[in-house]
Amino acid sequence: MSVRLSVISQVEQVAKEQKKKLAPLSDDLVLLDSGLDSLCFAIIVARLEDALGIDPFSTAEDAGFPVTLGDLIRFYEEAGK
Amino acid sequence: MRNVIVTGGSRGLGLGIVRRLTEAGYRTIAIARKETAQLQSAMEDGERDHHGSLRFVPFDLSRIDEIPRLVKTLRKDFGPIYGLVNNAAVGFDGVLAIMHNSQIEELVRVNTLSPIVLTKYVVRSMMADGGGRIVNVASIIGFTGYSGLSVYGATKASMIGFTRSLAREVGRMGVNVNSVAPGFVDTEMTQKLEDEQRQQIARRSALRRLPDIDDVAHAVEFLLGEQSKSITGTVLTVDAGNTA
Ligand SMILES: NC(=O)c1ccc[n+]([C@@H]2O[C@H](COP(=O)([O-])OP(=O)(O)OC[C@H]3O[C@@H](n4cnc5c(N)ncnc54)[C@H](OP(=O)(O)O)[C@@H]3O)[C@@H](O)[C@H]2O)c1
Repeated sequence: MSVRLSVISQVEQVAKEQKKKLAPLSDDLVLLDSGLDSLCFAIIVARLEDALGIDPFSTAEDAGFPVTLGDLIRFYEEAGK
Repeated sequence: MRNVIVTGGSRGLGLGIVRRLTEAGYRTIAIARKETAQLQSAMEDGERDHHGSLRFVPFDLSRIDEIPRLVKTLRKDFGPIYGLVNNAAVGFDGVLAIMHNSQIEELVRVNTLSPIVLTKYVVRSMMADGGGRIVNVASIIGFTGYSGLSVYGATKASMIGFTRSLAREVGRMGVNVNSVAPGFVDTEMTQKLEDEQRQQIARRSALRRLPDIDDVAHAVEFLLGEQSKSITGTVLTVDAGNTA
């Protein structure tokens, strides 16, 4: 599965588990408006570490969280290179 | 078999906790820098009696940057982590005004920073797995005073504050977070206490004695078990009534 698909499938999976109504997914969707909260993103980061073997947040220089879904996907794509 | 990580599980209270949890059927993963003869004999007992199983993973918890990798390896080798007991700590005492800054830093690094970062990586895997239990070993020194223990006391109070807020944060993800606050127990950490001081502490305790390692281990077992499923964000004091 590509990095993009892994990220998207985790987002959908966690939304379902946590019973969150997910906004329609697109690259410019602002994560804060996605319907997921920060704990959901913590689960997504943990699951992606298992699935992809990387945690870009632990190695990143700066402490910011990506703003849009596209940013999040690129963040993982860059880290996986 | 449920996996429980016990930091500082090689001697003292941590070893007592490890023994108790292994007997209760958990697979216990003890972390410390050095393996000890007592831990080895606990591992042999565990093998012989087939309760749970006991493993030792050598790691220096002051190496904060290595913690993410540690947790990743533990998950890979052992599978989902059900419980985390943050027990490892150092206990240097000394008058603050002349305490070396490197010792102050070491206390904060090992007793506060390290358990917080370790918990960060463990709790999110617990959340992803649908739940878990965290027990932070604080101390009555976190809420009473003892001359010479100001920095140590600050780190132990930090565990209590950490427990309360984290419990609120991760409760709805099925993770319970509690602290145990032991009073003085005879371990290597408290070796420096004079007999005289020890007796004085016992005299001032409601039960006229000190708690022992097993008392603390039972409290930790309780907080990991089914019976405590509705308990979170609290501090369980095990001090024979010293602070009553
Ligand atoms: N004893 C008491 O009266 C008392 C009272 C209240 C609270 N407590 C608390 O109970 C807990 C255990 O205390 P204790 O008396 O059992 O202490 P202890 O006998 O000194 O044992 C400390 C444990 O922590 C480990 N440790 C220390 N630094 C470490 C590091 N950098 N990396 C990995 N492991 C490390 C030690 O193993 P290595 O040295 O091999 O690494 C050892 O297993 C502590 O949190 C303490 O604050 C104790």
